[in-house]
Amino acid sequence: MTSSSGAILREPRLRINRHRRLCLSITAVLVALSVLGLVLSWLSPIKAPLKPGLDFTGGTSIQVERNCGERCSELSVQQVQEALPSAAVVQLLDDGQAVSVRSSALSPAESGAFVDALEQVAGPLIATDTQINTIGPVLGKQLLTSSVLALTVSFAAVALYISARYARLYAALALLALAHDVLITSGLFAWLGLLAGVEVNSLFAVALLTLAGYSVNDTVVVFDRIREQQRLLPELSVEEQVDRAVDGTLTRSIYTSLSTEIPILALILFGGESLQWFAVALFVGIAVGAWSSVAVVPPLLPLMGGKLPQRAATSGVTA
Amino acid sequence: MTRPQGWLALILALAIGSLLVLRSLPLSLGLDLRGGSQLTLLVKPAGDITKVESKQLEAVKEVLERRVNGLGVSEASVTTSGSDRIVVQLPGVQDPRRAAEVLGTTARLEFRAQKPETQQELSNLTRLKRLIVARQEQMAGRSQPPAGEEAPDVSGPLTDLLKQQGIEVPANASEDEQLEALLVETERRITPLFGEPELTGSDLVDAGRQQQQGSQSWEVTLRFSQAGGEKFADLTKSIAGTNRLLGIMLDGRSISEASVGPQFATAGITGGAATITGRFSADEARDLEVQLRGGALPLPVEIIENRSVGPTLGAQNIRNSLIAAGSGTALVGVFMVIIYRLPGAVALLALLLYSLFNLALYALIPVTLTLPGIAGFILSVGMAVDANILIFERSKEELRDGNTLFRSVDTGFSRAFSSIFDGHLTTLISCAALGWLGSGLVRGFAVTLAIGVLLSLFTALTCTRTLMRLALSYPALRKPSLFLAASSQP
Repeated sequence: MTSSSGAILREPRLRINRHRRLCLSITAVLVALSVLGLVLSWLSPIKAPLKPGLDFTGGTSIQVERNCGERCSELSVQQVQEALPSAAVVQLLDDGQAVSVRSSALSPAESGAFVDALEQVAGPLIATDTQINTIGPVLGKQLLTSSVLALTVSFAAVALYISARYARLYAALALLALAHDVLITSGLFAWLGLLAGVEVNSLFAVALLTLAGYSVNDTVVVFDRIREQQRLLPELSVEEQVDRAVDGTLTRSIYTSLSTEIPILALILFGGESLQWFAVALFVGIAVGAWSSVAVVPPLLPLMGGKLPQRAATSGVTA
Repeated sequence: MTRPQGWLALILALAIGSLLVLRSLPLSLGLDLRGGSQLTLLVKPAGDITKVESKQLEAVKEVLERRVNGLGVSEASVTTSGSDRIVVQLPGVQDPRRAAEVLGTTARLEFRAQKPETQQELSNLTRLKRLIVARQEQMAGRSQPPAGEEAPDVSGPLTDLLKQQGIEVPANASEDEQLEALLVETERRITPLFGEPELTGSDLVDAGRQQQQGSQSWEVTLRFSQAGGEKFADLTKSIAGTNRLLGIMLDGRSISEASVGPQFATAGITGGAATITGRFSADEARDLEVQLRGGALPLPVEIIENRSVGPTLGAQNIRNSLIAAGSGTALVGVFMVIIYRLPGAVALLALLLYSLFNLALYALIPVTLTLPGIAGFILSVGMAVDANILIFERSKEELRDGNTLFRSVDTGFSRAFSSIFDGHLTTLISCAALGWLGSGLVRGFAVTLAIGVLLSLFTALTCTRTLMRLALSYPALRKPSLFLAASSQP
């Protein structure tokens, strides 16, 4: 053991377990709000916990940019709807400079006819800016099942890994933290869906899956410190060890979260429309993940035991 | 790690190598970044086949590849995906209508002889067909009614005809659409009046097209194989001089019915060639030619996904993500230098090397960069920085406890290792699950994130470490104030 005895004997600046009640209350409120959002969304006309986008429901979305020089001519949603070959939801974007059309799944020939119709009513269009997405209904269902499967498998694999490197209780708590992060991020999007019509797409699924990895990463760093404390100071109570571990990793947790949030913030600001909500989901998820690894798991650990078996306590990998 | 010079040389060599790789190998960009169309085709079981097996999927893929080549799209790619999907990528194609038409149809060509005693029924149907075609041509302005003959008027009785034949068309269908529906149905009904197929598209060796003389219509020319030529001769011999017709069917629709003159009764039509005259426009003839050359699809396909992105939109996506990646990296660098001073600057340098290695690997593997892929990269930058933060925090602690600089830095590395290792490994586990189970977009994200995480293990543990040692070898840089903010010095 190196000369870190000084660090060990120093009094922790923050004792997280003294704030257990506050931390867990805040968490409970957040979780309750999220569940409320998901339930309300289910009861609302959306009829699902999150508002599913094209990727999940199947269908066609077409977006065209109008080439109108100085000013775009007047255009109403109704005009566009009447011009289209079949029923569709029409939205005018950017002051009528862009038109977005949503319909049931169309064949390429049919969506081509839609674009032709749009050219007629809203033209001239900037042909090189046209975007068409068609997702068959089969594909949407498959995306949902494969995302859920991927999430479950990565849960299980991570749990196995932590059980092996630490203890079963630690694996359970890491999964709890993970579920907490995913739940609150989903809850936020349920509210966004209810209040602002934000839809979740396959990128949202990717964001949740990423959080799963990231959140565990965050929690494991704290676990690693607890393991070290148990090895160096076995005579202290678990509560004391956990407090010292959190105190020792707190600066790192904050800095790391900040340094990850900075590029994501750049993605939100400059990444363009397609990545915006994806980045928001990551941003929130990482913030929540930092919270759960500092203020949810550590206060719970001493309540449930938390002594690592001797084998795990000494099996830390060193370079 | 006793010889930092060795590591330094390695890092330098890798950096130069990466630059060379990036100079000679271009990064491959996904369609969402360069513009183009992506079609996903579902291969459907048909007939005796209840489940699509990999052999059949490969067979369908081969036919599609030949057809895609026939379309003349440069750098197009055809790949299988999952157990029954084929993904066709057409860079630069904005309107995938024609490609969908050419790729999505089976194109099963058959030659059949008319069944005996069906003359009356057939002539009714062919007359109807002629009327429809004439009207279509007239509407398209392609032909004037032949002299002496009245322009056939089907517009009035069209609705009645449709009703008679039991054909349902959408209420607001235009006359064009109604005519097309009627034509398809009529051609379908002609088919059962003919016998078993005696010659098929697999007997062809080539197909071509030419403009019909004195007309704006096109015809498709066929050349049979040796065996096919013989079959064709036999078939035409059997009906020559009778009033039975030769029918040419494409995907169950009769596209041409022709009589064979009595002069062929002895030997049939020999020479191994035939022409399908019909009512093809130039485009239709070209499409059929491409399909026949590529061969019929062994199994029918359905287009289940179509993603098309215009090229300027793609360029805009590139610009956006470059700005995001650049400003993200720069801001993180500023953050690191403010918080950690000299080590922060070292980390920034390591971060730049990290980005360089990442890009070089994308070009080498190669990884096709998509929007989610870039997002994966940006996220991995965050994780790479995390490794540095873990190390520097540990070093700081050691330094605060009054250890020497060298010792603090070294201990920081060794003591941060186990948490870096655990953290990176759990992220890799998630990536594996995503890459293995996810599809398309999800996989692109998982791949870049996984590459990033693996590289970050390398750069954090070797690049940062070596550069730190290098920095510490200059006495001027060995000041604790360059490592700790004034307030936290012991």
